[in-house]
Amino acid sequence: MRLPRFFSKKRGHRRTGSREWGVFGDGLFHGTLLLAGLFFGALLVSGVAAPEWRINHAFLESRCTILAKGLARTTVADPPAAVITTWRPCLRVRYVANGSVHESWSDGPSTENTPDREAALRRLAAWTLGSEATCWYDPAAPQTVVLQRGYNWWLWLLSLLLPGALVLVGGSGLVRGLRSWGKSEEHRAASAGFSELLDPLAQPTLAAPGYPAVPVWDDLVNSPGTILRYRLPIESPENWTLVGFGLFALLWNAVLVVLAVGAGLDLLGGRIDWWLFALLVPFLGVGIGGVIMFIRSLVFATAVGPTQLEIADHPLLPGRQYDVLLAQGGTGTIRSLALSLELEEQATFRQGTDTRTEQAVVWKQSVAVFHEVNAAPHSRFEARAVVEIPPGAMHSFTSSHNAVRWRLVVRGTPDRWPEFSRIFPVVVFPPDAEAKEASPRPAGNGEASRSREVSR
Amino acid sequence: MTKAMDSGSAMPRVDMQFDRPHRQHEPHDQISVRYRIEGCEGEHIRAIEHSVLWYTEGKGEEDLGVHFFQRLTDRALLPSATATGAFTTPLPQSPLSYEGVIVKVRWCVRVRLFFEGSRDFVSEHVFTLGRIPPAQLVSSRT
Amino acid sequence: MAVLVTNPFATRFTRPGRIEPLDVTGSPVDVDALLDRLRGLLGTAAIVGPHGSGKSTLLTHLAAALERRGERVRRARLHSWWDVPKAWTAIRDSTAGDTVCIDSWECLGVTARSVLRLAARVSGCGLLVTSHRGTGMPELIRCGTSASLLRSIVRSLPGHACWHGQLIHETDIEAAFALHCGNLRESLYELYDRFEACASSIRAGVDAGPDGGDGSDGVCDGIQQFVDGFSYAGAPERNLG
Repeated sequence: MRLPRFFSKKRGHRRTGSREWGVFGDGLFHGTLLLAGLFFGALLVSGVAAPEWRINHAFLESRCTILAKGLARTTVADPPAAVITTWRPCLRVRYVANGSVHESWSDGPSTENTPDREAALRRLAAWTLGSEATCWYDPAAPQTVVLQRGYNWWLWLLSLLLPGALVLVGGSGLVRGLRSWGKSEEHRAASAGFSELLDPLAQPTLAAPGYPAVPVWDDLVNSPGTILRYRLPIESPENWTLVGFGLFALLWNAVLVVLAVGAGLDLLGGRIDWWLFALLVPFLGVGIGGVIMFIRSLVFATAVGPTQLEIADHPLLPGRQYDVLLAQGGTGTIRSLALSLELEEQATFRQGTDTRTEQAVVWKQSVAVFHEVNAAPHSRFEARAVVEIPPGAMHSFTSSHNAVRWRLVVRGTPDRWPEFSRIFPVVVFPPDAEAKEASPRPAGNGEASRSREVSR
Repeated sequence: MTKAMDSGSAMPRVDMQFDRPHRQHEPHDQISVRYRIEGCEGEHIRAIEHSVLWYTEGKGEEDLGVHFFQRLTDRALLPSATATGAFTTPLPQSPLSYEGVIVKVRWCVRVRLFFEGSRDFVSEHVFTLGRIPPAQLVSSRT
Repeated sequence: MAVLVTNPFATRFTRPGRIEPLDVTGSPVDVDALLDRLRGLLGTAAIVGPHGSGKSTLLTHLAAALERRGERVRRARLHSWWDVPKAWTAIRDSTAGDTVCIDSWECLGVTARSVLRLAARVSGCGLLVTSHRGTGMPELIRCGTSASLLRSIVRSLPGHACWHGQLIHETDIEAAFALHCGNLRESLYELYDRFEACASSIRAGVDAGPDGGDGSDGVCDGIQQFVDGFSYAGAPERNLG
């Protein structure tokens, strides 16, 4: 067997060599993570979990008499020049173990340690001198006895969380490396089903069954329409803007309140921190501005009202026509309301600190335009239109970093507010495909349900 | 015409022939290719891989999806240095070839030759699946 | 049939590692001399330069050159402060004499950088990083951009003889460089768009299929029907062209 070549020769722009050393290095890295996780996990299990498990499974039961009460003190250094003292209640008991009488101080879980001596004393008060109780002793070391058993599940979880993460990352990387050892790019991609599970950084894309790289449409058909079959979900940047402003205003003003309270307390105590006051002024300005922006966005969202779009069928096919129902709520007048069908490409490239996402609309057709739309709180504007997917249109496409997406876009120009646009994504299938619904449709509005099969 | 990267040294060459004129295919078609390997005199091919796959090209990271993959390691099945090979596979319904503006979807056939010493040579031949007309830019944003 | 026009400014041809490293005048960088300088700096240095000036490309080539010299190299590409563990692990797993190549060193805060440098010193490994600004580490090279550099990069792209002067002109290159204030990455994206706009006229009504339909011949006018090539260690996703 010949070892993979470690060095390579240059031929013009090309280099001959092997990628095995790279995979080997990657495997070594992940193997180290895996071993570290196993090692720390073993340490934690043996130090925390194993003793607890032994107490609950291996210790033998007996009856004991409480002879004395006490507090076990633990002192640890707390730099720079202090110590921390914790107290744990414990009891001296007499019991019979392995046929002999023993007297011993009971062991308690470390979680009973408390820096509050009075609280520890109160726990001791629950026990009565001279009374009898059930105890459990270690048959291998009868001097070890406990009066309480059980599990601290949160301690188990916390103890195994970090080692578990190391094992998962290291193990998956190692398996992934072993699976890709010596494989070409096509071979790795061809066996990607299991490997994708092992790659935590992969961005799996959900494809429609039987149609590779065509996105699933389940989320687009799980809302029945009031008149037409489906109500399309909205993908509106306004909602994200509103959420963004709200979060910013909340967090910023929370920090502002904390700073203001601190400054106020200092003032009440007769101290004035001029730097803090100087900082508060611009912070206050930004905080007020954030609140104003949020309120403005909220008013805009509620004043313009929701836009709903229903469609007669989904997913869509090239060369076919579909009824759509446009409904616009809110108050006031919208000078123009335009519905259009668009095809957008999206490409994402990541380099260094830059993640560059570019979108390009490569096809656009106006479906309908309505002027002087008047909506009232209890009477929304409704209109029907027909959307035609052009014959020979590219189907919807999605991969990890690239996408081709169809969407219906509603653009409105309200009378007293800025323009808005609301996006309703749709999925277009390849030509000559018979669309099949991903899930059973709810019967709606008197229309007879019918099913269509995906032909292969 | 092979796009030779180093005209001074001998390079393997894989001539490929498709069964369709202009390498135009439709979904569910059977794609059949025959290829001939040249320029490998004195080299021992230890394995060959056949694959039919799609990939993206444009302004984004490249993605790819392998539709058909076959690896030949049996010495009895491997062609000699100047022999021919062939394979066939049905094509799927999607994704179709697409000449977009910032995203393009291309289909290709690849033959990858593995030589002794962990060196490999790959020959990629593009074909078209479907008849989607090219796209043109209406508007863009970053 | 749709005519396939490969845009030479697509990321498959311009991503880091695909283009030979060039200096600000557009001449090839002497990688060996840089590595000798790196050795003189005891293996720890920074490649400094503005956005899109070829730092990542140079780092990729230097890492590959180190491996060709028989040295062990670990790589880490950072995108944000959350990638500190990635850098830490790369350094922790290194031994004396290794080189850890970290892209986008400036993502990390001052504290994290100090800790990682200390860790590298303790483990005895070298640090070769890229950064937009000074890091306090010795500077291996300062990357800059120029129109000459962009022209040299464009000349190295596939099919240059076929499309240069027809689809992309010198004025396009200069305009792209000026428009994006010297950012090479953005300039290449700009040239992508310009090429695409011009190529759309080629697609309309042009049938460039191979004669006889046997698929074995391409046509040298910016249309690439097939490519051949050896793959190589560290090749990006596609190693052809």
